[in-house]
Amino acid sequence: MATKNHTHRDYDSKSSKYDDYINFSTSMSRDELLKKKHITFLKRVLQVLPSQQLDTHRVSVAYFAISGLDVLDAMKEIDDQRNNLIHWIYSLQVQPDPSGKNLSQCGFRGCSMLGHLYDSHKAKGQLIPYDSSNIAMTYTSLVSLLILGDDLSQVHKKSVIAGIRSLQQSDGSFVSVLEGSESDMRFVYCACCVCYILDDWTGMDVEKTVAYITQSLSYEGAFGQKPFNEAHGGSTFCAVASLVLLDRLNSALTENQLSRLKRWLLRRQESGFTGRPNKPADTCYSFWVGATLQMLGVLVLSDVTLNRSFVLSTQSPVTGGFSKYPDHVPDPLHSYLGLCGLSLIGEPGLSPIFPALNLSQRAYDHLSNLQRQWREKH
Amino acid sequence: MSECNVDDAASNEAWVPFKDRPEWRDLKPIPQDDGPDPVVQIAYSEQFREVYDYFRAIIAADEKSERALSLTKEAAELNPANYSVWNYRRNILQELNKDLKEELKYISQVIEDNPKNYQVWHHRRVIVEWLEDVTDELKFTEKILKEDAKNYHAWQHRQWCIQQFSLWDQELDYVDRLLKEDLRNNSAWNQRHFIIKNTTGYTDEIIKKELKYSQDFIRKAPNNESAWNYMKGVLQERKLFDFPGVLEFCHELYSKQIRSPFLIACMIDCYEEMLELGKPKKEETLQKATQLCNELAEEHDTLRREYWQYIARSLASKYGADVSGDS
Repeated sequence: MATKNHTHRDYDSKSSKYDDYINFSTSMSRDELLKKKHITFLKRVLQVLPSQQLDTHRVSVAYFAISGLDVLDAMKEIDDQRNNLIHWIYSLQVQPDPSGKNLSQCGFRGCSMLGHLYDSHKAKGQLIPYDSSNIAMTYTSLVSLLILGDDLSQVHKKSVIAGIRSLQQSDGSFVSVLEGSESDMRFVYCACCVCYILDDWTGMDVEKTVAYITQSLSYEGAFGQKPFNEAHGGSTFCAVASLVLLDRLNSALTENQLSRLKRWLLRRQESGFTGRPNKPADTCYSFWVGATLQMLGVLVLSDVTLNRSFVLSTQSPVTGGFSKYPDHVPDPLHSYLGLCGLSLIGEPGLSPIFPALNLSQRAYDHLSNLQRQWREKH
Repeated sequence: MSECNVDDAASNEAWVPFKDRPEWRDLKPIPQDDGPDPVVQIAYSEQFREVYDYFRAIIAADEKSERALSLTKEAAELNPANYSVWNYRRNILQELNKDLKEELKYISQVIEDNPKNYQVWHHRRVIVEWLEDVTDELKFTEKILKEDAKNYHAWQHRQWCIQQFSLWDQELDYVDRLLKEDLRNNSAWNQRHFIIKNTTGYTDEIIKKELKYSQDFIRKAPNNESAWNYMKGVLQERKLFDFPGVLEFCHELYSKQIRSPFLIACMIDCYEEMLELGKPKKEETLQKATQLCNELAEEHDTLRREYWQYIARSLASKYGADVSGDS
């Protein structure tokens, strides 16, 4: 099947090299999802991380592990750690100072690197310079709490929303921290997730956000990180998921734009999916591109068999976990997104996911219930 | 999102613990408080732990000094992804009025060692902004792109410099050079679009020129998606119909037995537009389009079989009121 699919490549000199790669990866594919191995891998991630470079992003790595276990339908494996995890995530919340001084810094940090105290009560009132939340960490903290079954009652919702609002730029994009960072579609997506989860869109100027997203639609028909940036599978996921959460997908994009987008996305499939034309397939795009196709209702038009065998070929039979390419070192991000990619195409034994927020359908239903309760209270 | 690199081996040969550094004796280090039962712990080295204990102490005191500046360097070396360290370093650079040219040299080295790290590129951008000097930027990004011609960070920085400091003049030559080296460099095609869109714009005259430019590349490699995407992109605000050369070009390739899926898809798009515009010979046009969809589905793009069948079905339902399509 794989070779037949690639006959059209014979025109180009580089194609033979590519076919070798495909043949290699499919011949190496492991037919079965190594569920137990992945559970072990993700449980290990929750205990200790191999890289000091992940320090400031620890909660996002915890999210990959927690949500990954959820997708593996293995939450019972960490039942005994549940309260501790919830407590730790709340310890990362920037406590709003009664003076209102740090309101624009509120949200969640990725770790305790800047020196705040673990005990939230003691931490309150102890302002540390530059101690700001990070928008990606706020997003991953909230989804992790939801997956763990928490009711978000300890989230300082108004302050978190104020924190998000302070990160929006005049062009509609977002930076990740108040002290300044690059601004792009990733953080637009995080902002949309936080506003959606907390059911409060006062965290942004919605029109500006939508304008930024549509301006980042490239001539190729998909989205870049910024206006004029190259179209990319990751930023396209962020853009489309944001529009879905904003409930603006069909009004922000014309029918013609949607058709071109679908074609660009489907063309990303080689065996697994690529993030850009003329780049090799990488496990994470089975989620980034696969989830976008799902949100657009056309994932069924892709080749599930090839996609599945590519993702499975990137599993590590030794340690568990997935890597970006076959026979590379597995890491938490690719492990989680590999599982999500498989869940999207209905892999048996995996929980279904809600792609726009990148969490399980089960956790999404829990959020919907909470939101109903919040609305009734008001 | 964040890259998951395994740490580089520590590059410093002789690290001196802080207890052996007299200049730090007055400062009390602040340990990290991870709670009683830490999760996703980092296996910190002793050096990492100590450097960051002192970094916390410096932050708490908001001390902006020479020793604080050198500490940020140590901390950044251990974790170049730590945005708080870079931010604090910038505050000190400003406060002490340091030579930013030197800083640019330093960050160049760091970027070369970490070319896919968001934080170090951001640091560079702020320094360039402060200096209001882009003398080295094109050369520097070129150097990085030589290692990886599709490095997204480098392209983003390059685009920002070009926009901010109006460096449009030479860029098409650079793009041209890159495409001659590798006609599949999609980032270079994107840069071409970025430059033209922001300078001359896609006037009729430029469109004709760019159609020829991309078609020359397509002839060399008819299966190169990047060149096709560019050619289609050039026309995105126009009608393919206004440039009859496009369909002629496709026919020419097709008659030479070229069956690139991008070629056939482009022909389908031309026919679809003719249908949309209500051109005569509707049934014949629809039949041609459907036929091509089938060719793709059955032979030339079987991986996307379902998609091309779906396109055939939607064309039939849209334009084939009395044509029942092909089953």
